[in-house]
Amino acid sequence: MDPATSRPAVVIDNGTGYTKMGFAGNVEPCFIVPTVVAVNESFLNQSRSSSKASWLAQHSAGVMADLDFFIGDEAVARSRSSTTYNLSYPIQHGQVENWDAMERFWQQCIFNYLRCDPEDHYFLLTESPLTAPESREYTGEIMFETFNVPGLYIGVNSVLALAAGYTTSKCEMTGVVVDVGDGATHVVPVADGYVIGSSIKSVPIAGKDVTLFVQQLMRERGEHVPPEDSFEVARKVKETYCYTCSDIVKEFNKHDKEPAKYVKQWRGIKPKTGAPYSCDIGYERFLGPEVFFNPEIYSSEFSTPLPAVIDKCIQSAPIDTRRALYKNIVLSGGSTMFKDFHRRLQRDLKKIVDARVLASEARLGGEIKSQPVEVNVVSHPIQRFAVWFGGSVLASTPEFFAACHTKAEYEEYGASICRTNPVFKGMY
Amino acid sequence: MILLQSHSRFLLQTLLNRVHNLDKAVELDYNWVEFDDVRFHIQVSLKNSHVLLLSVSLPSPPAEAIFFNGLPFGAIEAIKAAYGVVVQILDPPKDGFNLTLKLNLSKLPPDEEYRHAILVKIASVREVVLGAPLRVILKKLGSRAVAPNKDRLIAIVHRPNESFFLVPKVEKVTVVYPMRFTDSIDIVLATSFLQEFVEARRTAGLNSAPSCLWSPSPPPELEGAPAEALSANAGFVTFVIFPRHVEGKKLDHTVWSLSTFHAYVSYHVKCSEGFMHTRMRRRVESLIQALDRAKPNVENSKKTPQSRSFKRLSLNEARTNSKS
Repeated sequence: MDPATSRPAVVIDNGTGYTKMGFAGNVEPCFIVPTVVAVNESFLNQSRSSSKASWLAQHSAGVMADLDFFIGDEAVARSRSSTTYNLSYPIQHGQVENWDAMERFWQQCIFNYLRCDPEDHYFLLTESPLTAPESREYTGEIMFETFNVPGLYIGVNSVLALAAGYTTSKCEMTGVVVDVGDGATHVVPVADGYVIGSSIKSVPIAGKDVTLFVQQLMRERGEHVPPEDSFEVARKVKETYCYTCSDIVKEFNKHDKEPAKYVKQWRGIKPKTGAPYSCDIGYERFLGPEVFFNPEIYSSEFSTPLPAVIDKCIQSAPIDTRRALYKNIVLSGGSTMFKDFHRRLQRDLKKIVDARVLASEARLGGEIKSQPVEVNVVSHPIQRFAVWFGGSVLASTPEFFAACHTKAEYEEYGASICRTNPVFKGMY
Repeated sequence: MILLQSHSRFLLQTLLNRVHNLDKAVELDYNWVEFDDVRFHIQVSLKNSHVLLLSVSLPSPPAEAIFFNGLPFGAIEAIKAAYGVVVQILDPPKDGFNLTLKLNLSKLPPDEEYRHAILVKIASVREVVLGAPLRVILKKLGSRAVAPNKDRLIAIVHRPNESFFLVPKVEKVTVVYPMRFTDSIDIVLATSFLQEFVEARRTAGLNSAPSCLWSPSPPPELEGAPAEALSANAGFVTFVIFPRHVEGKKLDHTVWSLSTFHAYVSYHVKCSEGFMHTRMRRRVESLIQALDRAKPNVENSKKTPQSRSFKRLSLNEARTNSKS
């Protein structure tokens, strides 16, 4: 027997904003760190000439540049304190853009954070449902060639988010996953564990846009936030103070009547001078998450609210799955963590569905009464790392090891074994 | 990033988190595995949140290493010396583990700095337990108290079913590592890495470092070792440790570096593979760019009406061509 199957598998969920990593069988990831790499590029820009001594110097500079990097919170801290480090975000909009940075990121995750020997563990990685097969091949290549992993499974994050609800009460593998991450928002219908690929809808508004919007609002009001810090402050404000309101007009009134209760203070220290500053946080508390429900306040190109996108997505799915899909709408990703987000989503979606049912009843002249459609948005406390948790549940089952691509398969057939994912094969 | 730290990052994070929110009762149950198959399990129950159970399972020892009750010799004493009243050893340990420690977080010293130091020490439990026999010998070396007649081999486990060997003498301790790797590429990289490593030791800046040798065949110090310990596919590395390397605070560092030498090498082998791939990717990209530049611009030439082929097909020219 392969000794690696007796050890827990390593589950790494690389998101655009944060990476969640840990060992299978546990309820929480070990580490949640920002997906960012700080690279020291000062070595590479040294003058080039052809003499042998400088070739050597260049070589050792290259070696140093290879070794001198940081990931996660350390990377952010380094880039703030000195100018020699440049931040690079390897994942953009849910897709890996910079493979060099990604490989370094994985290397540090495995050796420095989890401190495990990659040869000893099976690995479960995640990808977005729209990832190209080439990118999956690349992932497999890095994992098998560089890290020598004995087995690899690349899970689709929306299916894993559904699997996260697997243990609680029932084995419900049909549902719509509303995955609002930092860089990408996808609405993915899943029927019996298979992704309905043709009905996937994506929204060009995600967590980062909420942050940008909050930043813009604060800047326009003239709050005294140092410009180099304003994005980070906006992100913190978003994570700590933002909530979803039921009605914008009422919320504005509430804020105006009782500013003492609703307006919060933010205190910080300027990174350059070290002087303290403070600023007010007002309307952006509820206007930030509002970009999902009224996108026109943020962007002029996209104006379909998220509930309407979900409705469109379910309407384009096969007709026999629609009721089940409405019944199980699962939230996942950090940007669904706003207070009352699921209530608002459920209410707006219910409104759309009810209006359609009423219209069709009126068209039929009241002869046939249809059964009411149940709309249910599921929210659970682990939403932030639901994908990771789903992966952890999946990888702790004994069947997991059989579903993995193994090192022997990779050596026999090459990276092409990672091209396809069986969860896409059900419905075509 | 080049050296592995002696404390487990996750364990330290969990301990600090617990200490800072000591009043908040939480349930915690976590399993994880570190390199060389050291497994950890941490448990906190809701009703007694001041008490934390930490279980450790060590790599299974080969026949030649000396183990008492599943622990290397000197481990119990080392734990008691390192932690004092904060930690209590449970006997028997939890099922499937070699050692279970009961940590009473309310007994931690109030002084912030000292408390942090103790927590870091607890997080390095692996160094304390696995490095215990090594520490005993090196300490004797430091005080020059090695019994002169005891010049036999001592085996210390560092990986599942693998050990490295110590030859203690009065004035020096010789440490020999049989290096083994499973992957064929790893073997090649590790061999050349170790040769470079020995070479690097000769540079002027490292004169006071322990001297270091690499040989493809077992060195004479290993005479009398069991046959299976003498097979190594990436050669043998020998360090000679002198008393000056284990003076005072250097002892901890030396113990940790020696007991994780194999992990250090395999980490570097993996990283260098990664960096080679980075280089290869860059090269392929530049070659693809060169190919792209060499491509004739097909689409443009089709669209423009003034292109040569179009002219040639015009009637006038065809006629003049046929006349001449």
